[in-house]
Amino acid sequence: MNGWILAAAVVLTAGVGATLWGVATGPLRRRAAAQNLSTALACPVLLLLAQGYDRPAYVDLALVLALLGPVGTLVFARMLADELADDPPHARGPTWSAAALGAAVVVAVCVATGPGRALVKLLVIGALLVGGNLVASRALAGGMREARRG
Amino acid sequence: MAEAVIVVALLLVAASATVAVAVRDPVRQSLVLAVLGVVLAVLFTVLQAPDVGLSQLAVGSALTPLLLLLTVRKVKRRGRRRKESES
Repeated sequence: MNGWILAAAVVLTAGVGATLWGVATGPLRRRAAAQNLSTALACPVLLLLAQGYDRPAYVDLALVLALLGPVGTLVFARMLADELADDPPHARGPTWSAAALGAAVVVAVCVATGPGRALVKLLVIGALLVGGNLVASRALAGGMREARRG
Repeated sequence: MAEAVIVVALLLVAASATVAVAVRDPVRQSLVLAVLGVVLAVLFTVLQAPDVGLSQLAVGSALTPLLLLLTVRKVKRRGRRRKESES
């Protein structure tokens, strides 16, 4: 068991475990925020696993999750807009710490990969991950309503 | 020692699947189902089946919740219309 897989196991236990607790209990706004965070935390786990197993092809999973995770959160933000209108979820601290974790993991994997096409792919994944999750949490916090209001 | 991450992923899948059954409200259930899809994809990756994980991600993270929420919205709307026609 190398350090990458150990780090993946730690992030999976602490991060995804905590979001599972958040999505299982509490009011609807906390559950929606926890669902957003679960994709933001699972993507670094997949990157760490790809590095740990030394299979660059596994990075595709992280790419797909970085693309589709924010899409799923936007689906919830759009369909639950009426329920979330009364008290919109504000999870600024957890969102930024998840984004920082994702950025740190991407930088660490980039350093381990070295220059080349794989590095460009990793940087694209990092940009999609951080940007997508910030946009998705803005949408959950009320951006969707403002957009509809015009 | 590399089995530790498999055990963690299996435990997370078991916990999230149990929660998805235990939650009664369909809207909250769809949120739990989205998390379950992501955790299942991690489990498939850990078990060295990334192709299965890829399709699980595509279906589980966005498509299943969208279908569930659309169904809930349609059922609610139909119920409201029936109530209006009765009164």
